[in-house]
Amino acid sequence: MSRWKDLTNGFYTENPIFRITLGMCPFLALSTSVQNAVGMGSAATFVLIWSNVAISALRNFIPDKIRIPCYIVFIATFVSLVDMVMAAFMPPLHKALGIYIPLIVVNCIILGRAEAFANKNTVMSSFLDGIGMGVGFTLAMLLMASIREILGNGTWYGINILGHAYTSQPVLLAILPPGAFILMGFVLGVFAIIDRRKERAA
Amino acid sequence: MAEPRLFQLSMSPHVTSPLNTRRVMLDVVTALLPALAGAIWFFGFVDSLLPVLVSVVTAVAAEYFCLRIMKRPVNAALDGSAIVTGLLLAYNLPPGVPWWLPVIGSGFAIVVAKQAFGGLGHNMINPALLGRAFLMASFPVLMTSGWQAPFEWSAPESHFETSGIPVENLQAIPDADAISGATPLRVMKDSFTMERHRGNAVRAQLASEGTYLNLFLGRRGGCIGETSGLLLLLGAIYLVVRGVLELRLPLSYLGSVALFGWIIGGPGLLQGDPLFSVLAGGVILGGFFMVTDMVTTPVTPWGKILFGFLAGFITIVIRRWGGYPEGCSYSILIMNLATPLLDRFTRPRILGEVGKHA
Repeated sequence: MSRWKDLTNGFYTENPIFRITLGMCPFLALSTSVQNAVGMGSAATFVLIWSNVAISALRNFIPDKIRIPCYIVFIATFVSLVDMVMAAFMPPLHKALGIYIPLIVVNCIILGRAEAFANKNTVMSSFLDGIGMGVGFTLAMLLMASIREILGNGTWYGINILGHAYTSQPVLLAILPPGAFILMGFVLGVFAIIDRRKERAA
Repeated sequence: MAEPRLFQLSMSPHVTSPLNTRRVMLDVVTALLPALAGAIWFFGFVDSLLPVLVSVVTAVAAEYFCLRIMKRPVNAALDGSAIVTGLLLAYNLPPGVPWWLPVIGSGFAIVVAKQAFGGLGHNMINPALLGRAFLMASFPVLMTSGWQAPFEWSAPESHFETSGIPVENLQAIPDADAISGATPLRVMKDSFTMERHRGNAVRAQLASEGTYLNLFLGRRGGCIGETSGLLLLLGAIYLVVRGVLELRLPLSYLGSVALFGWIIGGPGLLQGDPLFSVLAGGVILGGFFMVTDMVTTPVTPWGKILFGFLAGFITIVIRRWGGYPEGCSYSILIMNLATPLLDRFTRPRILGEVGKHA
């Protein structure tokens, strides 16, 4: 039961984006298209899972005083892996994500889970937590990117779904940086309403 | 007959003012009407009145639905502030825009810029201007092209240039066709990148008396409500007479635009044209009706003066070096964000309070 909870915790109840509001920088900057969201989501998920596993496996050997530099070393290792693999096999995506791939090293979600979860839990729990948080982050990216790409470009995953009349004159602001902040506010508002309804029902 | 009581006992506030939101807003609407009449005269019913009506109706409807959803008293939607927002937004659109543009802009202005922050009195930035900024970012082509040359109904065959330069003076400019269809400020901005003698000729014509007159009367291209300085001034005088408009903000803003327009608005230092800087673009509309928004500008006397001064400076900087030919709306938006700071820095000393070094 608790294993199941470790896994699903990140999906909704402790969703890293909409609940803990960590990792805003790549989230706001790269949710401009669904393709970017999938790329960023999977890269972050990969790093999150394996850094969680590595840190949790070595948690009893890492001296407490220098634990943060140690986390960074682990995380940077996996980020370099992702960076090189992506550059070799998916150059267009690598180019689109740009600086945000190396920046996963300092992603608050990954550091946060290392400090708050992997540091205190077993390898198996940390592995599941990594999957859960990664999927939660990817789902949040997908939701936001869908809204922004449809509004700001009239397409979803590059497929034109609103017709030419819209794509010739889209609401450009949605894929510009201010649009990310405004839409984020609205999505958080909707989540707050859902929560309040739930509370009242309970 | 009851004896009149010596002391009237009541709770504070004891001093009341006949000014209330509805009265102020209705006065502002009245003051904006001459400019609307001018727009109809210059651009025709379909191209000017239609966007204005659509914008106002959308603003009031959006306000009503927001209040409804938030379970607040819905009659606040009729206090007139939404009408003013809708009017000002439409005044900032080019004539002849498609009908859905004011719908989106006005809806955004009310829902995001005003009600999402808590409604009237709580919005940090001018809703109409944020709506315009939103439209500028989203639909740059529709918002910055298709400027119409104005006409006059009494003589439809008479022709004016969108640049405001009198037609008979155009021959003084080499290759004058290249500047047709552009607003005065666009022409001014382009003149800085032209060959030297052409740029000088263009600027000489822009700074001529005939151009000043055309700009003041509204015989030029521009947004629906910004073109006629004369009609906007009429509205402003009405507001002053009614005691709604306090002149510190508009005067410091317009003065600052003229000052910096002279100092840095030209090709070199002190070569700008102060009168042209004030008459062109939306500075008169902005100065009297947007800088003076009571919610988003400072309340202290020195705060007001500083606000206008800095906004004028930013306007000219954007005009001269920014990406857009006009910086009025962005300068006011930027200064709106600095308003709490200005209020704090310029807080007047309370009567009886002792200063630090007294």
